[in-house]
Amino acid sequence: MIEIKNLNLNFGNEILFNNIELNIPENKITMIVGPNGTGKTTLFKILNGEIKNKCKITNTFKKVFYLPQKIYYTKGITTYDYVSSILFKNSWKWFLNNTEKQKVYDALRQMDLLEKQHLEIDKLSAGEIQRANIAMGLLSGADLFLLDEPTSNMDLVNQIKTLDIIKKMTLSGISVAIIMHDLNLSASYGDYFIGISQKHRVYKADKKNFFKPEILNEIYDISFKVINNEEKFYVQIFN
Amino acid sequence: MNNIKNITTLAILIILFISALCCTLFYNLPHENSSLILEFIRIPNTTKAIIAGASLALAGMILQAVTKNPLADPYLTGLSSGAGLGITLSILYFHSINYSLFGFIGALLTSVLVICLSGFSKFSISKLILIGLSVNILASSIIAFLILTNAEKAYALTLILSGGFSSADISKSLLTTLFTIALIICIILIPKLNLFRIDSALTFNSLNKVLKYNIIFIMLSAFLTSIAVFTAGILGFIGIIVPHLSKILVGNDFRILIFANFLLGGLILLISNFISTNLIAPIQIPLGIVIAFIGVPIFIFFLLRRDFE
Repeated sequence: MIEIKNLNLNFGNEILFNNIELNIPENKITMIVGPNGTGKTTLFKILNGEIKNKCKITNTFKKVFYLPQKIYYTKGITTYDYVSSILFKNSWKWFLNNTEKQKVYDALRQMDLLEKQHLEIDKLSAGEIQRANIAMGLLSGADLFLLDEPTSNMDLVNQIKTLDIIKKMTLSGISVAIIMHDLNLSASYGDYFIGISQKHRVYKADKKNFFKPEILNEIYDISFKVINNEEKFYVQIFN
Repeated sequence: MNNIKNITTLAILIILFISALCCTLFYNLPHENSSLILEFIRIPNTTKAIIAGASLALAGMILQAVTKNPLADPYLTGLSSGAGLGITLSILYFHSINYSLFGFIGALLTSVLVICLSGFSKFSISKLILIGLSVNILASSIIAFLILTNAEKAYALTLILSGGFSSADISKSLLTTLFTIALIICIILIPKLNLFRIDSALTFNSLNKVLKYNIIFIMLSAFLTSIAVFTAGILGFIGIIVPHLSKILVGNDFRILIFANFLLGGLILLISNFISTNLIAPIQIPLGIVIAFIGVPIFIFFLLRRDFE
């Protein structure tokens, strides 16, 4: 579990976070929602250590893997090479041994990319490339994944496939925090919710207490209607 | 399958490399005094060609990977003008025969200055490129000023600055030692270069622990380039084309690319050296010109063969 207390952050004169407290629970999918520019990505960068802050962070996770929205891809390497690159981080070895190779294959199998391993990385689809990135996270040994809009340019089928795989990861002791804009998808996959409002206020709750019109209205400044169908929640814009 | 292809490519490069080596050593060797010519002229020159070509190619490979910029060349850190300034000062004010040593020192000092300046508050690649550019411009205007105010030595200076193997003799053992040190560092560090194939945001991800290899790699490439300056003055172009050519030939794994760059860089300089000394012998064509004449067609040929983005 990771816990942040007394988080204060200003960008010039604009106050982004004012004495905020939040936490990311273990073995769950935490969905982070809210309008653009409210500091969701900044929050990830603080959790990741990229932005230094004086706030109090209690962290029981061994390793954090942060996947930004836009990243750079090298041309002309295969999916296998791309994913296994991360293994050169901790050792000075020239060659990977068999256990490491097996780990790469396991991660690729888990992401359903085994058939694509010899394909060049720039020939993969948006869903496949994102799953290759997550495979790399698995190889890095991280137990907290911070995914910044991982499904933003996928079609619905691939979004569901990717989220299903992520859901399965949480069963094997991995915790995931995802920034998502699709409220209905986050309602069906998330276990815990953090919402950051236009006025930089933070709302956090489990599914039942989060999907309430008054909270969503506060976050987005729009009127919502929430349909509760046997503990499954659907959100509609209410005009 | 890919591995077999890469090994075949490397084998072909090794064969070409050895044949070029034999050509430069034994072509047109006179019968009398042959061992003297070999020992004092040909062997030193081929060694220098290999060292210069390989160091420039490796430096270019490292910089292109670290900056993720296909246009990055080894002189990125303002090194060429720094070296030029060192050479000019040594000839004008110290009347030194060992001007290449001054070039080496000038190159090292400039790159250390540029790297320190760009790491002053927070290190970034674009800052490095821009500071390198500014220092480069400053140093080259000082060189231009010095050449203009010393008209009687202007021709000799221009000739030396356009690149060629130095005749200084004491540099031989120093040079090989420096090059061996650089190669050993390269071999130790090269697997880490594979990390630069992925976005740097993905490579540092444990809390409060930021590992920065890029500064180490930039210093290594500056060291390699300074060695090249020491051997052959300022040779443009090798450091840009050889890394690209090797990438086209063997793909993007730096554990293989290091050999491809070493062999290809050495090979191109051996051939250029051979042509520059033998084409219109006894006149020597400046090496830089020959490199451009050989390198550009090969490079464009390979670029056109592959749909290059």
